[in-house]
Amino acid sequence: MEKILLEAQDITVNYGAIKALSGFSLKLMEHEIVSVIGANGAGKSTFMNALMGMVRITGGKFFLEGSPLSSKNYKIVRSGLSLVPEGRRIFTPLTVEENLRIGAFSRKNRNEIRDDYDWIFSLFPILKERLKQYAGTLSGGEQQMLAIGRALMAKPKILLLDEPSLGLAPIIIQNIFKELKRINEQGVSILLVEQNAKQALLLSHRAYVLQTGRLLKEGFSRDLLEDSDIKAAYLGQSS
Amino acid sequence: MQFTISTLFQQIINGLSLGSVYALIAVGYSLVYSILLFSNFAHGGFLVVGGYACYYLLTQWGYGVVISMTGALLASGITAVLTEFSAYKPIRERTPITLYLLIASMGVNIIIENLFVVTVGGRVKALPQNTFPTGVFNLAGGVTMSASDIISLVTAVVFLGLLQLFLSKTRWGLAIRAAACDIRTAGLMGINVAFLISLVFFVAGILAAVGGIFLSVRYSLYPQLGSITTKAFIAAVIGGLGSLPGAVVGSLILGLAEMLTAGFISSQMRDLVVYSLLVIMLLIRPAGFFGKKINDKI
Repeated sequence: MEKILLEAQDITVNYGAIKALSGFSLKLMEHEIVSVIGANGAGKSTFMNALMGMVRITGGKFFLEGSPLSSKNYKIVRSGLSLVPEGRRIFTPLTVEENLRIGAFSRKNRNEIRDDYDWIFSLFPILKERLKQYAGTLSGGEQQMLAIGRALMAKPKILLLDEPSLGLAPIIIQNIFKELKRINEQGVSILLVEQNAKQALLLSHRAYVLQTGRLLKEGFSRDLLEDSDIKAAYLGQSS
Repeated sequence: MQFTISTLFQQIINGLSLGSVYALIAVGYSLVYSILLFSNFAHGGFLVVGGYACYYLLTQWGYGVVISMTGALLASGITAVLTEFSAYKPIRERTPITLYLLIASMGVNIIIENLFVVTVGGRVKALPQNTFPTGVFNLAGGVTMSASDIISLVTAVVFLGLLQLFLSKTRWGLAIRAAACDIRTAGLMGINVAFLISLVFFVAGILAAVGGIFLSVRYSLYPQLGSITTKAFIAAVIGGLGSLPGAVVGSLILGLAEMLTAGFISSQMRDLVVYSLLVIMLLIRPAGFFGKKINDKI
């Protein structure tokens, strides 16, 4: 039986009187890719931010490998979660190299860090060419690659991605998702939040569908791809 | 003509010396602004703490210059960290509106100033004569340069250089630069942002103390000495708030403008020129020389 890596139990988040997330639970197994899909405002990003300690949760608990997750941002990163935030959020006045270096902020072992640079360059060779350039001069797709590379520099057990396809051309999205698959095959579990339901379902093993803060459906991604409700509501096709 | 040329050089030297002291203060201002996006008016208070700490370590406890200055730097740095912890952090945790931080910083400044009025009195004090070498060097054409001018210039260059090295070469320096760009995302990099903010205040406090000590040497020491940071603030705005090179350039411009005005027009016109420069800058280039964002600056 596979090991549970991350577990979210009954997560509830309120923004004032608004319930952004009510009693949402999720499991992520080792080596798995799980996606959370849903429309704008469904609570996907809220869930990610709650997981990373950037939004205070009103109820529920997170467990990483069975032990409770810290509520402090930087401790969560050190325990093995690394987020590629929505809108990439790279440090534009810093160079590509500095962006990658800051990703490895909490790590000490220089040899391992050097190996990870090579790993990231093998995934995204363009970053090696742009190493001394300011990150702000990169194209949107390159910035997304940098954001992913930066997150991987933390050597996470779980890579979290918040809307990685946002604002990118379809061909670039496909490229990036292909690399995400490779990253997963090299042992990193992935938790993905996406409005682009089709891409997310094609990549992930299992998925959760959120609607206005509540779980609508969960299951294997390939089943959800064939589900008539999901097709109609999220995949833009009638059955 | 001889008189004019030598006056020019003399005032340039004086201006650079004054500007270097402004720069130490303005850089601390800008450093805090770059991370938290508010003008920390308590910076003047940190400077006064540094000045008095140095004074009492020298006169009451009889320590040497090096120990007294180190103690003053630490006192100021710790005051800055405590201010952040007790006055700013509780506000930051409740609201993202930086205007409240600005108002709190004015309050802290008043508190520090009046604590000194109440405890040690409002009377002017002077650092002992022998604190720094006092010689005067005669340069060509009757131009003089005092030892304290040289020391303050050299010290400013050394401290600003050390700050530059710290920011560009160290792990925490890189973290500070990342936080200046996007503090929320910096937290996602595994950076302990609360510690980072304390560190920034500590560094700003140290720089303020160095400025405070040299101001006490140049003028004298009194509880309202911190009000001179208004000038450093103007220098930071002219250079572009949040930009460290901008703060240095703005400070040198301001120091030169003041001293040239004093030398060629009248000493009383100094402040008029300074504030005119500020108004002109805000009209022509509101973001300052090196500032990029043109948002509300408070």
